[in-house]
Formats: sequence, structure tokens, C-alpha cells
Amino acid sequence: MHLGGKTHRVKADVAIIGGGTAGLNTAMAAAECGASVLIVDKAHIQRSGAIAGGIDHFMAFMETGESWDTREAYLAYVGKVARGAANLRIHEKVLCDELPAAMARIEKMGISLRQEDGSYLRTQALGQPGPYSINFNGQRLKPAMALEVKRRKCRVLNRVQVTKLCLHEGEMAGFCGYDMRNGDFYEIQAKATVIATGNTNRMFKSQTGNPFNLWYCPANTGDLHRAAFDAGVELANVEYVRMTIVPKGFSAPGFNAFFGMGGKLVNGLGVPFMTDYHPQGDAAPRNVMVWAALTETKAGRGPIYVDVRHLSASDLAHLFSTLGIDKDTLPEFLMAKGYAREGAMIELTVSEPMQARPSEQCGSGIKIDEACASNVPGLFAAGDASDQMGCLHMCVAGGFYAGKQAAKYARARNRLLPLKAKELRQERLRVFAPMQRQNGLAPGEFENVVRIITTDHFGPIKNETSLKAGIAKLDALNSYRDELAAGDLHTLMRCHEAVNIHAVAKIVAETSLARTESRFSPYHHRSDFPESSDDWCGLVVARREGDNGVATRFETLLYDA
Amino acid sequence: MSAVIDKARCNGCELCALYCPLDVIYMEDGVAVVRYPDECWYCGACRQECARDAVSFKFTPAMLGI
Repeated sequence: MHLGGKTHRVKADVAIIGGGTAGLNTAMAAAECGASVLIVDKAHIQRSGAIAGGIDHFMAFMETGESWDTREAYLAYVGKVARGAANLRIHEKVLCDELPAAMARIEKMGISLRQEDGSYLRTQALGQPGPYSINFNGQRLKPAMALEVKRRKCRVLNRVQVTKLCLHEGEMAGFCGYDMRNGDFYEIQAKATVIATGNTNRMFKSQTGNPFNLWYCPANTGDLHRAAFDAGVELANVEYVRMTIVPKGFSAPGFNAFFGMGGKLVNGLGVPFMTDYHPQGDAAPRNVMVWAALTETKAGRGPIYVDVRHLSASDLAHLFSTLGIDKDTLPEFLMAKGYAREGAMIELTVSEPMQARPSEQCGSGIKIDEACASNVPGLFAAGDASDQMGCLHMCVAGGFYAGKQAAKYARARNRLLPLKAKELRQERLRVFAPMQRQNGLAPGEFENVVRIITTDHFGPIKNETSLKAGIAKLDALNSYRDELAAGDLHTLMRCHEAVNIHAVAKIVAETSLARTESRFSPYHHRSDFPESSDDWCGLVVARREGDNGVATRFETLLYDA
Repeated sequence: MSAVIDKARCNGCELCALYCPLDVIYMEDGVAVVRYPDECWYCGACRQECARDAVSFKFTPAMLGI
């Protein structure tokens, strides 16, 4: 019978929820601006988030004199590959203005973006007009950033899951959560709060059936998408379900390395097929590659492989090395499967879908403006948790920008706003309720039902009927939330994650229903509206309506060309 | 299966249990134990942090077989 342990009350100028790449860069900036900073992370900032085990590329324009390597060319690329999702005015602020300083900051932390001879190794994929992806060894980047925020005197609460945002007269006052290792309860007041908790995973069926065998971090479960939505915060770009192409059996990153190094996607007949789908062939945008892989497989020409047999010995050596930087265990997995380093046809498959950005150049989540602010005063967002940032380059650059903006807001607000005692008491009871139940529903079982519904109804192809039926089934699951049971604090965390995944799934379905066109297929592909329409070049913005409703509105985005 | 910790090599430093992003490793009787093996992400953070080379990875039949 656990009702939680001690209560801790903590105050900060700027509080950051989520200590991944974006969150830690936010913290660095806010501290540099003189704010007292608190980072709250569900895991431990040393190794939390998407790059916990490493990362091997950083996307950038570098003004080398090449026509594709300018700020203007880069923005044109973003406007092309993220059309209808990326707001270029925000992109200029969160990426372009910050990029040189972001790269310098990484290197100052002791992580070189260069090769041993001091040169940059840059590769081209993902629809880029030139080689924007700098290959580097980022295996120690996350620990280096964790060290940096400690050096800047930021306070950190590790293993604390945030469950509720607290408002005072419509403005952000703070939030609360619990420590999953000892059950202590935290009530936090901050002048400004930044959400940087990534996207939502474990929402659709995975290739092996294990929901933790995922491309993106399985600890990212939309906890703050749900909490923010419940607090009246607007979300955008959440109708997209992102997928990639991964090794069969192991949903690991590697796409950018395989195709950036010149790997060819071939079908079961041994025939390369990407040029049939896009003029850039294997350097096409990710969604086009996924669409092509799905189409080939559906047409009976599967399985699909990446052919790397034509690569030189030195390129193959680099490929296997960089695969292991992006996913530490991937090279040994490929060896265990019997693939030889000398080059092979490696079987691939389309990964699980997830709630995440439709392009490397935008985000999916809390809608932000040019100051990274949400519609709730005092609440900001950064990284994958926002609708305009994602991927390492934007999380480093834009995370820092968000920190400056939050610190500026905190400085202007001269006092902390009060938290409501009754609201906190009620939340504490809600949080620990699964630990009071005997023989209730296991969170894994609940989550599994959610995954079957999402995959059947919008994972990824969808239409009005499938979405409405899926929403009805998700709504029917609501009553089971009150039956979830946990025998320990770790399982309690999984209970809350399951509820959050379920809540975000419904928002994904409702926003998918609103967008009556297709865009970034298959990330948003409506079989009843299979074409893209200029009328839908912009954001579907979602906001809570009543107890269980999702209201949507549309916001047009403009592009020069 | 998941990360596998060699109890004989583990010196109880707790770093893997402290840092695991999925909260699957706990300390039991002074050594690290993978308490929730089905929830491992195979990120390799625990192995990278281990100074005693006590961590290896075992892939499941589903991962290797399909």
C-alpha cells in the first residue's frame, strides 16, 4: 500500500522537463543567462533520451562556398522536404541563427565533429541537395552534455516522472511528479518551464512483438504531450506517424549511415528500385524510401535489402564503425545474423510507426512560436517534444535558443505563481492509485490493446471509417485506466506511460481525421484522400475540448517557392 | 533477453543501474541485475559505462530468427 514518500518542494527560475539533448542545451543557455535552473528527467541525464547510447551524424550547412551549402539553400531544402510542417520563420531562429554556436559548443565539450585529420566527413541522404550530414563519433556526447550542465551549476532530479502541469489563472505555475526509485513526491514551482521530453513511442506494434525493440527511445511515451494537452496546451504536427527502414529483427538506427555511404535499396528480385520512386534514388527523403519499401513488399517483391557489396573496403569499414556509434549493439547483431563485414545484402524492413515529426527538419508536439513559447504563458518547448524541432542539430541549436527565451521570460516575471494544495493532493492520489489495487490490469496488457487498435486503424494507412472506429475503440478503453495495478514503483511508471500512450494515440487519430488529404505519405496517408492539396499546406493544431474531446483548427504555412 | 551482466566481473559500482535509460537494471546483493530484461533497448549505455567489461548482449530468438 504505497501512497508515496516524502514531499519535496523545489523552486527554480527555469525548470526543464526532460534531460535529453534538447533539454540539456536549454539548461546550458538558461544558466548562462543567469537563471537558477532545474532539470527533471525520467531516467538519468548521463544516458537519457534518443542519444543515450550514441549518435553518429549532425546535419548542417557550413558556408563552404558550394551553392548547396548556404543558409538560403538549406532553408529552401527545408521548405521542400518539410513543406506544410516546418515554419521557416521559426526554423531560422531555432536552427540557422544558432548553428555555428551549436557546433562550437559541441566541440568545446570535447566531442569533435571532425575526423582524425581535422577534416569533416559529410554524406548526403534524406533528400538533401548536398552532403549536409557530418559523420562524427558522438558516443560520449550525452555524458559530455551532462557534465556541462553540472559545470554550469544546474540542479538535476533524475528518475522523476512528471505527471501534471499546474496553472495559476491561465499561466504556468509549476508541475509535480514522483521519484520512481523511492516514491517521493515533488512539487515544483518555476517562473518558466520548458518541455523537452521527445516524441511518443510504444504506440504501434513492433516488428518482433517486443514493444521495447524500437528505433527511437522506448522511454519516450508522450508523458508531457498528454500532460500539456490536459492543461490546455496546443499541439501540432501530431497527425504524422513516422517510420524508417531498419534491419530485420532489430529496430535500430542505421538508415542515414547505410544510404549516406551509398548503400542501395533492392527488392527480393535483387533489383534496385528507388529511382522508380524519386529522382534522388536512395538519397530520397525518408518518407519516400519508406513508401517505396512498403509498396515493393505489398506488390510481392519483398523482402527488401540494402546492398553494400559495391562499397570500397575503406567505406565498408567506416560504415560498420559508424553503425556502431549510432547504435552500440548493431554491428554485433549483424554479425550474429551472419552478415560479413566484407559486404552483404542485409535484410531490412519498415520499422514500427511512432508519433513523431514527418521530417528531420521539424517536430511533432507542443506548438511553439518564434520564442519557443506555447499558448500557455510561461510554458515553452524544445526538441522533438515541440512541433518545430527534431533531430540532433535542431535539439542542440534550438534547445539552446529555447533556454535563452525561457530565461528572458523568467527574468521579466518577478515572482513565482502559487500551486494549489487541493490539486496537488488529488494528483498524488491519482499517481499512486495503481499501487492500491490488487489483481488489477497490468500496464503491458493495456498498452498492447492500444497498439493493436492503432496499428489496425491508422498504422499507418487510414481513412475516415478506420479512424472513427479506432477512436471509438480507444474511447472504450478509458474505463480500464482505472483498473491498472502496480506492485512496485517501476511498474507504476509503466502504468502512467501506458495511459499517456493511449491519450496521445487518440490525439493522433483525431488530428488525422481532420486532415482530409495525404502528406508525407505514408506518414499521413488517407486512402480516401490520397493526394496532397495546397489547401492543407500548414498545421493541424489540436486543443483539448471538454473532458475527452479534441478540437482542431488549421494554420496555413507560407513558402516562397 | 537483453544486456547480460557477469556477476563474477561486476564490482558493484552501480553505474549501469544508475544510468540505464529504461530503468531495467537494479542492484541486488551488491551486484547489478537486469531485473526487466524484456524492457531493454539494447542501447549499450551500460556496457559503455562499465569499467569491468561485465556487460554483454544476448539477442532474442525473435531478433535473430525472423
